[in-house]
Amino acid sequence: MLDMRHSPIAKRLTWINVLVSGTALLSACVAFLAYDQYTFREGLLRNLSVQAQIIGSNSVSALTFNDPQAAKTTLTALSSSPDIIAAAIFNLDGSLFAQYSRFPDAKVVDAPGTIGELETVRFTNREVMLLEPIVFQGRRLGTVYIRSDLQERTQRLKRYATIAAVVLLLSLLAALLVSAFFRRSFAQPIVGLAETARVVSQERNYSLRVPSTGRRDEVAVLIDAFNNMLAQIQQRDEALRHAQDELEQRVEERTRQLVAANRELEAFSYSVSHDLRGPLEIINGFAHILQMENGAAFDASARECVLQITGATHRMSELIDDLLNLSRVSTTAMHRERVDLTQMSKSIVDQLCRREPDRRVEFSAQECMTVEADARLIRIVLENLLRNAWKYTSKNQTAHIEFGCEQRLGRSTFYVRDDGAGFDPALADRLFKPFQRLHTTSEFAGTGIGLATVHRIIARHGGEVWAEGSPQKGAAFFFTLP
Amino acid sequence: MRVPRRVSPLFFVLSLLVCAASVSAQQPKASEAEVEAVYIFKFSQFITWPGNARSAPTFDICILGDDPLGPFLDRTVRGERVNGKAVVDRHLARPQDAQGCSILYISRSENYRLRQVLATVRELPLLTVSDIPEFSSKGGMIEFVLQSGRVRFQVNLTPAEQAGLSMSSELLKVAVAVKSGGGQGSQ
Repeated sequence: MLDMRHSPIAKRLTWINVLVSGTALLSACVAFLAYDQYTFREGLLRNLSVQAQIIGSNSVSALTFNDPQAAKTTLTALSSSPDIIAAAIFNLDGSLFAQYSRFPDAKVVDAPGTIGELETVRFTNREVMLLEPIVFQGRRLGTVYIRSDLQERTQRLKRYATIAAVVLLLSLLAALLVSAFFRRSFAQPIVGLAETARVVSQERNYSLRVPSTGRRDEVAVLIDAFNNMLAQIQQRDEALRHAQDELEQRVEERTRQLVAANRELEAFSYSVSHDLRGPLEIINGFAHILQMENGAAFDASARECVLQITGATHRMSELIDDLLNLSRVSTTAMHRERVDLTQMSKSIVDQLCRREPDRRVEFSAQECMTVEADARLIRIVLENLLRNAWKYTSKNQTAHIEFGCEQRLGRSTFYVRDDGAGFDPALADRLFKPFQRLHTTSEFAGTGIGLATVHRIIARHGGEVWAEGSPQKGAAFFFTLP
Repeated sequence: MRVPRRVSPLFFVLSLLVCAASVSAQQPKASEAEVEAVYIFKFSQFITWPGNARSAPTFDICILGDDPLGPFLDRTVRGERVNGKAVVDRHLARPQDAQGCSILYISRSENYRLRQVLATVRELPLLTVSDIPEFSSKGGMIEFVLQSGRVRFQVNLTPAEQAGLSMSSELLKVAVAVKSGGGQGSQ
C-alpha cells in the first residue's frame, strides 16, 4: 500500500474512508458468496439426490424384471431437467443396465458405478456426480448414477461477482463523496490552519488570521488559540518596533547634539589658540626690544628674567601651534596623493640638524618608501615622530634614528626607531592621548599633543599607530596606512 | 432424507475397481425356467392381496401340473419372507387344492383343462401365472412370453381385480402388454 504517513490529512481521510468501506464490503461479499455457494451446493445435492431416488424407485420393477427399455424410459424423463448431463442405472453386480445422455454422442459414464451401501458424491470443476443406491423392500437392487452440469453455479458466481463489483464501485463512490464532505467540514480548516502557520513562519507576517469555521469543535478551539497567539505576537512585535524606533531617534538626536558640541568646542579651541597668539607675539616682541635696547644695562638677574620670558613665550607659541594642528587635522579636507616618505623624512631631519648642529645623530631611512596619503598631514606625522626621536635621544653621545618599512601581518608597517630614553611599555596606551606625558618637562621639553595629533591623522587615513619600547632602551613607533 | 456425503476420489476409484471385479465374476445366463421362477416370486413384491388372504400363516406359491421350475423355485424362495410370512412352495395335483395359495403357477401340461382350472380358482384371492400361450386372453392374470429370447410377461387386469388383487403400476410398467376383459379382451 502507499506510505500514508506524510500525505496530507484530507488525502488520508479519503483513503481511510475508502479502505474501511471497501474492506467491510469485500468481507461481506466474500461471506455472502461463501454462504451462497454452500447453500447452493447443498440444494444442488439435495435436488440431485431426490431426482436419483425418484429414478431409483421408478426403476425397481425394470430392474426386478430385467427390463432395460422401461428403465431407459424412466431415465429419459430427466430431459426436462436441463442441468442433468447424463444418468445411468447399474445392476447390483455393477454392470450397466440403462443409460441416458442429454447429448446423444456424449459418453454417459466414464466408468461403471459403485457397489455398496454408500451414497457417493464427486465434484469436478464443471460437473457434479452422484451415486444413489436403489433399495426395494430392504433389498439393494442396483445403483443410480446421475451427472449434473455446474453451469448454473458458474453463472451464479459470475452474476454474483458482477453485482458485488457494481455494489463495491457504488459504495466506493459513496465513500469518496462522504470523504469529500468531511474534507470540506473537517480537514479544510486544518489545512487552512497549517497553510497560515506556514506563511506566518515563513514571512514573519503576524497580521494574518485563520478564518473561523463557525463551529464549536476542537479545531475551532485550535484556530482561536492560534489566532490569539498571533495577536499577542503581533502586539509584542509592534511594541518592540516602537521601542526600537524611539531608541534610534534618540541616538540620532544625541549624535547630532554631540557633533554640534564637538564642532563648537573645536571652533572655540581654534579661536582661543589663534587669539592667544596675538598677545604672545606682543610679549615676545617687547621682551626682544627690551633685550636689544636695554640689554647692556641689565644685570645678570634681569637678563635671566628676560631670557625666561622669551623661553616661555617660545614654548607657548609651540603649544599653540600644536593645538592648532590638532584641531586642524580633524577639520581640514584630505587630498590623497602619492607621497615619498623617504624624501620627506630626510628633509625633516635636515631641518632638525640645522636647528641643533651640535647634536651627533646618525639617521638612516629606507629608500623609495611611498604611500597614498595627504602630504601635508603625513608630514605632520613624520615631523612629530622624528622630532620625538630627536628629542628623546638628546642625552645620547651619539644617537641613532632609523626610519623604515617592514611587513607585519601582511601589511606594510612603517616605523621610526631610536635608541633614546624609551618608556615603560605598561603606559604605552597613554602615549597617544592629548596632554599625557611620560616624562617631565624639565627632563624633555614638550607639549604632550604631538602623538595625539599623529594618532588622529593616522586614524583619519584609516590606519593604525602603536609604540613599542622599554626604559633606557629606545622606542619604536609603528604606523600603517592602507 | 439422507444428506449425501462426499467421498474422496481415491475411494471412488477403489469402489469402481471392486465392482469391475464383480462384473467379471458374473454368473452364466439363467435359463428360461430359472428366470420364470425368480419372476414368480418377485411378482409378490408388486401385488397387494386382499385382506382375507392375509390370515394364512404362510405365503404359498403353488404349482399345478408338471413342474419344470420346481428346483429353481425351491432355491429362490428358500428363507424368503413376504409381508412377514415365510414363503413356501408346494405342488398341487388338483386345482381344488388351491385354497390357501397366494400365487398359482399353471404349467403347460394343464393347457387342456385351462378353462376349468381358471373357473375353479376364480373366486380365490390368488395370482394366476402361466406360460401357456394366450393365457392372459383366456382369463389368466400374468402370462409369460418370450420376446427376442428374453422372458417378458403380459398382464390381464380384469381377473386380478375380480380376485381382489391390486397390481402396482411399477409392475404394469414393465409388462409387455396390459389387457382388460374376461376372455377376449385385448390391450
